[in-house]
Amino acid sequence: MNKKELISFQNVSFSYETDTENPKTVLQDISFSVMEGEFLCILGHNGSGKSTVAKLSNALLLPDQGRILVDGVDTGDEEQQIEIRKKIGIVFQNPDNQIVASIVEEDVAFGPENLCLPREEIRSRVDAALKAVDMYDRRFHETHRLSGGQKQRVSIAGMIAMRPKCIFFDEPTAMLDPKGRRSILNTIHRLNREYGITVVYITHFMDEAAEADRVMLLSDGRILKTGTPSEVFTQTDLIVRCGLELPDPAKLSFELSELGIRLTPGVLTEQDFIDAFQRFMKESQ
Amino acid sequence: MIKDITIGQFFPGESFVHKLDPRAKILILIVFIVVLFICRNFFSLLLMLVFSFTAVILSRISPKMIWKSMKAIVVLVIFTALLQLIYNDKGDVWWKPFPNGSFVITSGGVYGAIFLIVRIITLILLTSLLTYTTSSTLLTDAIEKLLTPLKWLHVPVHSLAMMMTIALRFIPTLLREIDIIMSAQKARGAKLDTGNLGQRIKALVSVFVPLLVSSFRRAAELATAMECRCYTDGAHRTRLRRMRLGWRDWLAGGVLLLVSATAVFTSFYPIGSTLIFQAVIS
Repeated sequence: MNKKELISFQNVSFSYETDTENPKTVLQDISFSVMEGEFLCILGHNGSGKSTVAKLSNALLLPDQGRILVDGVDTGDEEQQIEIRKKIGIVFQNPDNQIVASIVEEDVAFGPENLCLPREEIRSRVDAALKAVDMYDRRFHETHRLSGGQKQRVSIAGMIAMRPKCIFFDEPTAMLDPKGRRSILNTIHRLNREYGITVVYITHFMDEAAEADRVMLLSDGRILKTGTPSEVFTQTDLIVRCGLELPDPAKLSFELSELGIRLTPGVLTEQDFIDAFQRFMKESQ
Repeated sequence: MIKDITIGQFFPGESFVHKLDPRAKILILIVFIVVLFICRNFFSLLLMLVFSFTAVILSRISPKMIWKSMKAIVVLVIFTALLQLIYNDKGDVWWKPFPNGSFVITSGGVYGAIFLIVRIITLILLTSLLTYTTSSTLLTDAIEKLLTPLKWLHVPVHSLAMMMTIALRFIPTLLREIDIIMSAQKARGAKLDTGNLGQRIKALVSVFVPLLVSSFRRAAELATAMECRCYTDGAHRTRLRRMRLGWRDWLAGGVLLLVSATAVFTSFYPIGSTLIFQAVIS
């Protein structure tokens, strides 16, 4: 199947003008594209420029050099900015700072209300969005009494209700406990699979990238590597250079290989490791 | 301690008061406050007290929450009551502690103090109900509607209403943040609960500076998030909920008008001169 390009970065450079004499360069001449329907994971440590990529994609920021096309429209075109933001949503790290209303369903309605949709349409979108993230039962709850994971679900519902083609998730699990992290990640994967929403997932947790379609490794404003998770994760030296940590099973197989126990390459999940290790045991017998 | 503050909080429910149109609630509250300050004797005050007490019962808000909002103003109530007791010298002298009569407790002072306490309690009962039973979004939508005439004077009514929604939404968030910062400063040895007033105020600077800094950061992040959700000037936004006046609103308004008319009438033309009709505030 030939998939369409949804977002395309073309030789984009960007720097924050904190002071005019030595501007801080965040992105240097990067080019990549996001395909419709895919789950792309952008991996990078703090300050690698990964959050800036999200803000550039929906015209919150504009590139210094190069251009960004969303569905063929340049983000620099001021008249199209609202149209672009309808297509590209962002969910940020801190759910507390992106919830506008005190009641769950009123917050989810905030986006559709801004789009000036008719009342019945808002109602059906809000209900559908809340069901998609399993928060429909809590639609009348107060947002400040929810747990971190539930708040993040509300933020995601707020984005879904606007029916964007693509959602950027900017470290959505960074402030959550492990259980909340897992369930948010599952929700995002389900949105991608069942609702066909293109997902760009930004994180520094490598284990979260394991199930993505493609992984892009970003370090100091440059793309180091793009490929499937197993292609990227086997480049152990590159990952260490980025200041990232391998998922535990991958780390274990890497450390075993240094001891001379060479498993089949491409171990990412626990199941991979068990399979590879059993194969290794059989071969050595 | 800080978590006890319940200003602007909303307790979702399905009661009669919850279902009132927020515009009606605001108008009722305004009329009620005006009449409450016109009241001049215990009979009219009692009528108002019964009205707000009925509203509290109908709202099914737990008495604990009502008590919490009362607690915040206990000091104020006691202070004003004491002033009334000391400075009001009308009526019969009931107690004369000093022979020269430089300080006396009079019947007017005692009645006045009781009158003030009851008036403030009545006021708090109904005002706290407004935010307890109305979500911040509906409340600000209603205020926006009621202030619509000001748009002719180029007052940015919508922006003001949006600011209020966000302010109410962030009260619990910021209260929790204050709690966290206070604990953090205490862990570093800050003495927030000891020392004289001056020292305590100085110690609080170490709480409010971080709070201010983080509030600015929150505001910036919220603004970005709102932009992502296509918020522009907001003047043409549609709404999820429609506000419609129903039988409940007419009923509540009608009862209030009846109660108010009686209260105002008896304030100026007291029927008889027994204790409950006695005019104590002149």
